[in-house]
Amino acid sequence: MRDIVLRIENLSKYYQMGEVRVKALENVSFEVEKGEFIVILGPSGSGKSTLLNIIGGMDTPSGGNVYFDGELITNYSDRELTMYRRYKIGFVFQFYNLMATLTAKENVELVAEITGSKVNVEEVMEAVGLGDRSDHFPSQMSGGEQQRVAIARAVAKNPDILLCDEPTGALDFETGISILKVLKDVNVKYKNTVIVITHNSPIAQMADKVIKMRSGNITEIIINENPIEPEGIEW
Amino acid sequence: MKKLNKRLLRMIKNTKGQFFAVLSIIITGLFIFTAVNNSAMNLRDSLNSYYSITNFADIFVTAAGIPESIEREIEGRENIREADVRLSIDTRFITDNEDERITVKAVSVDGKENKINKLFIKEGRYSLTGNEVILIDQFAVAREINVGDEIRLSLNGREHKFKVSAIASSPEYVYLMESEQVLLPDPGNFGVVFIEEDYLRKISGSRYFNEIVLTVNNYEQINKTKDQLEDFLKKYGVVRVLDRNEQLSNSVMQEEIGGLETVSRSIPIVFLLFAGIMLANMLSRTVKRDRTSIGVLKAMGLTDNEIIIHYLKYAASVGILGGLLGSIIGTATSGAMTGLYLEFFNIPMLRVKIYYQRIIVSVLLSLIFCVGAGFWGVRSIIRINPAESMKPEVPKSGKRVFLENIQFLWDRFTFSWRMVWRNIFREKRKFILIAAAVAITTGLMMMTMWMNEIMDVMFVKHYTDFMKMEYNIGFNGFQDKRVINEIKEYINYSDMEGRIEFPFEIKNGRNSKIVTVIGIEEDTVFYDFHDLEGNRLKIPKDGILLSSNLAEALKASKGDKIILKSYVPDSEEKYVTVAGVLVQSLGINGYMDIDYMNREFLHKGIINGVYINSKDDVKAKLNDVKNITSIQTQGDMQKIFEEFSGLIVAYMGFMVIFSGMLGFVILYSMTLMSINERTLEFSSLRVMGFTKQEIFRMLMKENSVMSLLGIIAGIPLGKWLVNYIGVMFSTDIYTIQGVLTLKEIVPAIILTIIFIISAQLMTYVKIHKLDFMQALKSRIS
Repeated sequence: MRDIVLRIENLSKYYQMGEVRVKALENVSFEVEKGEFIVILGPSGSGKSTLLNIIGGMDTPSGGNVYFDGELITNYSDRELTMYRRYKIGFVFQFYNLMATLTAKENVELVAEITGSKVNVEEVMEAVGLGDRSDHFPSQMSGGEQQRVAIARAVAKNPDILLCDEPTGALDFETGISILKVLKDVNVKYKNTVIVITHNSPIAQMADKVIKMRSGNITEIIINENPIEPEGIEW
Repeated sequence: MKKLNKRLLRMIKNTKGQFFAVLSIIITGLFIFTAVNNSAMNLRDSLNSYYSITNFADIFVTAAGIPESIEREIEGRENIREADVRLSIDTRFITDNEDERITVKAVSVDGKENKINKLFIKEGRYSLTGNEVILIDQFAVAREINVGDEIRLSLNGREHKFKVSAIASSPEYVYLMESEQVLLPDPGNFGVVFIEEDYLRKISGSRYFNEIVLTVNNYEQINKTKDQLEDFLKKYGVVRVLDRNEQLSNSVMQEEIGGLETVSRSIPIVFLLFAGIMLANMLSRTVKRDRTSIGVLKAMGLTDNEIIIHYLKYAASVGILGGLLGSIIGTATSGAMTGLYLEFFNIPMLRVKIYYQRIIVSVLLSLIFCVGAGFWGVRSIIRINPAESMKPEVPKSGKRVFLENIQFLWDRFTFSWRMVWRNIFREKRKFILIAAAVAITTGLMMMTMWMNEIMDVMFVKHYTDFMKMEYNIGFNGFQDKRVINEIKEYINYSDMEGRIEFPFEIKNGRNSKIVTVIGIEEDTVFYDFHDLEGNRLKIPKDGILLSSNLAEALKASKGDKIILKSYVPDSEEKYVTVAGVLVQSLGINGYMDIDYMNREFLHKGIINGVYINSKDDVKAKLNDVKNITSIQTQGDMQKIFEEFSGLIVAYMGFMVIFSGMLGFVILYSMTLMSINERTLEFSSLRVMGFTKQEIFRMLMKENSVMSLLGIIAGIPLGKWLVNYIGVMFSTDIYTIQGVLTLKEIVPAIILTIIFIISAQLMTYVKIHKLDFMQALKSRIS
């Protein structure tokens, strides 16, 4: 039996800009199984970030439903959405968005503290390959290292879903690959569901499922029977 | 430690300049609050406990001749708890210096100890047998008289020798002044000696007493009791009936303490308001800068309240720390400050207490201000959408600033001046705060300069322009006018006139006041009266001139008919017309034609003193003249004022430093904030080839424009403050009047500019240290 963690039904989002109604998402529907590695692929303006924000409880849709573990989250109050973000979702952003005044380890511990997670922070730091850089501040780290910290921070609360918004967008090729590898390792090791949004199509090769988007609509959902390892990706 | 708290600590460390700026303003405000308020509380508590221990009187009656039996009669009357009759006589203190004429009031003490206004022995033993006397502390200290010493007093022209058995303080003379006309205590030239009742009656030849002190059961009925007493004692020639609030020493004390309380409540609020505005501004900018971090925290699952509390902890920490440090420093220095007041007040049991509750109140006050201001600054956190916060902020639409519409003017500005104007108009709130801080600094500086000037003017004007006599001779009671002829035989003089200085009760409707009314010749050369418009006033043939503070207290104006009552036996209340209201900076008096005064209220042809202008050494020459109890000279008054001016200089220094600091700190911290926020802009300018000096000059131009506006706004503010001080601090002793002139405005502006320049120089150091290039390298939230 399939273990569905996330079900999206006819999701739409419109923005009103002056007199113009801008469509960001329209009738988007798909399902995500527990432990899946999903890549949402699309060019800039295709609605993938909006979709990610709604799934992550950071934005609300104009129509449609999002079910998490069978619960309708689109009906959640602000407080419930906050708790949903706190305990169920981990975010990784394109520009890392670390707390500049906390060290790498403290950035990770902050999340563990907020959620009351019992995760071993040192172990997580080791898992992202930053065991020896834990006491450095973000300003003392490279972009790749900062993104590893961001991943460790997201993983530390042991979320059900890890949402990654263009995690390699600000990195060079080699660093990008190493980050994808970390995400894959986390996906395997901690059995988190990982959703990566990107405009970089080669990344889709490592996904279990690829959701292609354009102009706010899903154009294709591809089940990848043979995902490749990140090291095999090239762009 | 929680990681968010760690972030908070590092946030404080990274903004330490601004943190300490706000902190120093709070510390200053609460330092003033606790130091001044504690001093007031120390003085009030000690005074009350002193009054309670010594059974300080509620009513003071002066009369012509009171038999001893009256004591028992009065004690049985309504609301009277205790009564004590006594004899009080002005005597001359004899020293080796024949030129000196020092008045010592001899007060009788019944039996072993008086039951009201008990003496507080500081040294020696309580013994009043025969010629043993107790001397008042302040006079003993000023004259270096010790227990066991012999003193000589001249009473009714005869010299008497006394032995000082003890030195004591009296609750009646906490503030030792001979009369309200003297204005400031001069303990070397006026003293009080306590002599056993029978002995004093014997040597003075007085059958009767002339004063009664009383305590009452219910102080709220004091006015009724006073009226009843006045009626009852009419036949004994009541001169005046004063309640405790009108008693000279106590009224000065209450006014001083009240003044301290007013200062302690008003000035700290100004400081806390500025600290609050700065904090709100600072935190709102921090929230703006941390927009993405706040978004991330929200994305992590922190609630709005949790994030708001995180930022409010910054405000709370500055509030608690400022409150604690300010109140602790204030408490620690309140002892020294109270000590400064003890130069003027003699309260033997003064104990400097630590008012822990004051520290708690200070911390709470500061916390409430800071958290309130902090919340105002961070309330926009609620509006931050986590999804939106990840995207770069949409740049503000670059619309034209107001000045750009005036093409003619705009075209004349250089590039850097255009940037300056744009920044000013786009950051209105920040620049308004800078201008307001500079305005307050200028205003406070002007007020300080004015106060220094006005005190000087008040004294100098009063004793040279208003009162023109070189000598004011006081007699022991009323004398026939012809006594002047006797005095004329002793000295060469240019002017001499008889005068009467006598207490009257003056009523106008519900308002009444007991003051000394001065009777002088119609064409006197010893006073120069002017009305509030500056027109010269003459003593009217009938009617009375009132000093402006007396007119204000009575709510009387020119043409009003007011009631005067002299307390002389069988004298009746009479209506007198107010002929004018005059400007008088020191004291509270009425002035009448001496003949009119005698005719209507006293007896024809009497005086109780003379005014003299003479090149002679009048003190020495009138030494042996009978019935002269006091000789006051201009020089004496000048000397007292010079002693008093030490306190004024200390106060001035204190005010200049604190008001300057306010401007300095706000300007410095606002500029620091600007530098932090505009590092990218400055870096771009550096890439374009701007030097650090040019960037500093740009910032300096922005600040200078606002400082200039602040200084201009500070002038009317200073005028308002001066009027406020005039109204708030005018008492029966001082009437603070006077306008601000360039003499005060110019130095105030110069001092303000010095503080502004110091803040700018500190900013330059900061700019010089900034690594502009680093700012262009990376973007980290």
